[in-house]
Amino acid sequence: MPEMFRLMLEKPTTEAYPFKPIQLTERFRGKLDIDPAKCTGCQVCALVCPAAVITMVDLGTRKVGDRELKVRRPLFDLASCISCGECVDNCAFNALQLTKQFEIATPNKTDLLMNKAVVK
Amino acid sequence: MSETVTKLESYAEEVGTKVTALRKNENIVEVPQDKLKTFVAHVVNDLHIRHLMTITGLDLGENLGITYHFSLERDTIHVRSFVPKTKPVAVSIVDIVPGAILYEMELHDMFGIEFAGNPWKDQKLLLPDDWPADLPPPLLKTSKADQIRKRLGLEVEKK
Amino acid sequence: MSTSPEQQRREESAGLMEYSTESLVPFGPIHPALKEPEYFKLVLEGERIVNVIPRIGYVHRGLEKAAESRPWVQNMYMFERTCGICSFVHSLCYGQAVEELTLFQVPKRAKYIRTIIAEMERIHSHLLWVGLMGHWAGFDTLFMWVWNDREVVLDLVEAISGNRVHKSMNAFCGVRRDMPENMKDRIVERMKFLTDRARYYREVIDTEETMLVRTENIGRVSQDTAEKLCAVGPMARYVGLRQDVRLNDPYAAYDEVPLDIVTTTEGDVHALLRLRLDELVASANIVSYAVENLPDGPIRVKVPPVIPAGEHSSHCEAPRGEIFYYVKSSGGRTPERVKSRQPTMANLPTALEMLKGQTLADIPIVLTAIDPCFGCMDRMSFYDTETNRRWTWSGEELRQYGVNHYFPDRSKKQRGFTKAIDSSINRRQRESI
Repeated sequence: MPEMFRLMLEKPTTEAYPFKPIQLTERFRGKLDIDPAKCTGCQVCALVCPAAVITMVDLGTRKVGDRELKVRRPLFDLASCISCGECVDNCAFNALQLTKQFEIATPNKTDLLMNKAVVK
Repeated sequence: MSETVTKLESYAEEVGTKVTALRKNENIVEVPQDKLKTFVAHVVNDLHIRHLMTITGLDLGENLGITYHFSLERDTIHVRSFVPKTKPVAVSIVDIVPGAILYEMELHDMFGIEFAGNPWKDQKLLLPDDWPADLPPPLLKTSKADQIRKRLGLEVEKK
Repeated sequence: MSTSPEQQRREESAGLMEYSTESLVPFGPIHPALKEPEYFKLVLEGERIVNVIPRIGYVHRGLEKAAESRPWVQNMYMFERTCGICSFVHSLCYGQAVEELTLFQVPKRAKYIRTIIAEMERIHSHLLWVGLMGHWAGFDTLFMWVWNDREVVLDLVEAISGNRVHKSMNAFCGVRRDMPENMKDRIVERMKFLTDRARYYREVIDTEETMLVRTENIGRVSQDTAEKLCAVGPMARYVGLRQDVRLNDPYAAYDEVPLDIVTTTEGDVHALLRLRLDELVASANIVSYAVENLPDGPIRVKVPPVIPAGEHSSHCEAPRGEIFYYVKSSGGRTPERVKSRQPTMANLPTALEMLKGQTLADIPIVLTAIDPCFGCMDRMSFYDTETNRRWTWSGEELRQYGVNHYFPDRSKKQRGFTKAIDSSINRRQRESI
């Protein structure tokens, strides 16, 4: 009996999402994002990803002194991403971060291909 | 507890092997198949180590290794035995440790080892009923995942 | 040896059943609505169960084979996804087995944080289980209230690790994220709240008629049988065996926190309920202590990607029992062999012994009581030896049968609903003969 009164006076547990925004904690791990200006193509993120999300795309070469160096940038298939944060932790240039966005469902798989770093 | 290990060493001498210590209170004993049952009976009945954690199979090239993992308080004892790949028939310890029955069935499915004496040794445990008879057991090093997928008709669409 | 025709029929039926599958990697329900596939064949005599043959292995994913072709760190994420409810303990156990090969020491702060998260996971798992028991017993109010309280611990876990289920907090020789600042008071206060709630639920199961009728004197197993069949976790402790990895072989910070191992002597399902609720209180106590006495220092030691050759094993206490991992390295970037053994596999022979002698209506309760990590009954096939009848029921039909059997005088409206299910069951029975 007292239990019923307690529950009636407490605020409801059910959140009215999606009609009201949902409360997320500060450390919530959502969709991945990259800052293309900081990325150097070192491919460490591709090597540590547990879900094989990242593929390096060849974008030609550039001249450094008298050497031709390959230029590569990462392409992310965010449909497979598990938001673990390994790439974020291992990126030496702080180019990656996990945002709080989680509503990324789409009927088109190509929408989830993040190619910000690849497109010039 | 060194007392357990000392007693274990005496049993190991009886069957003609010795105890190797791994890091952190773990000891491993390699026992040939014919002496396995006496050794396990010693471990379970005399040392009162009744908890068998699991049985692991290993693909060691020519042989298959069967490791029994026992635990008593802080000590872990691994008892390893070998069977040749050409004739993978092993001795079952189900009459000493009844809890080993499912682990032996799992090894039978995954490595192809037959445990003589296990009451359910012919039953499939994990593999599907329509597993092709000429496909080698999955956990051997020679079995490749894409080979198994192709035979079972489970092709994965490449991106 | 002359046998009567009835005896012959009984022997025939026992021979029909093949004791078959078992899951190498049983995984846990991440959502209550997601029931997992497994299949049981029960041999009945009237209402009593005589023999049970499980057939599982439907969710076998070949993780051990997959682990041999992936780098060490990636395997940690893969094994975390073996189970939704005990995900942290899986990655912890794998991490511990590999850490011993690297010769690096785990910092003290990391050990305490691991203990905190592991105990929070245990609280979450036990709350989920108590709710499921309420649901299968027909007491849905308990289910809703307990799962409401479960949100408390899930919010705490999200605040620390960023995710409610797959915490991804473990790394080799450390944890990946530190405790957030200013969380100490909040955690202590929430643990106190959960302790009060657990004590309240303890009163409920001791006095509420629904739970008592459905769980007392059900699912008994002798201590000797449980020990011989190598039962682990609460299944060993509810018959009086004092078996707990945290006590017998302490890992992480368990040798420094107050540990209260709960055992009961009456081995029935009601004792399991009391045991898990008491364990919840003990876990909340551990979390409060660990949070108050968290040592300072680094949280992680970087480990090179190549692990030296050798072999090692490790075991941990998951909410359901003992998890065991064995790891063999040949000095490369990928393991040579990883073996993972989940507690439900170890408890399965004991669970089948529990079922013998029970009635049909008790099946959901007994099978949920072992806290299976392969979920609830999806398809069950029955064979009655006396009338030679076979039929199949889904999980919901079985649950309704159990509820009607024990509480036949529920309200008329409910009875109308159950009548619909009954008539569908009857129709199917008639069709299958």
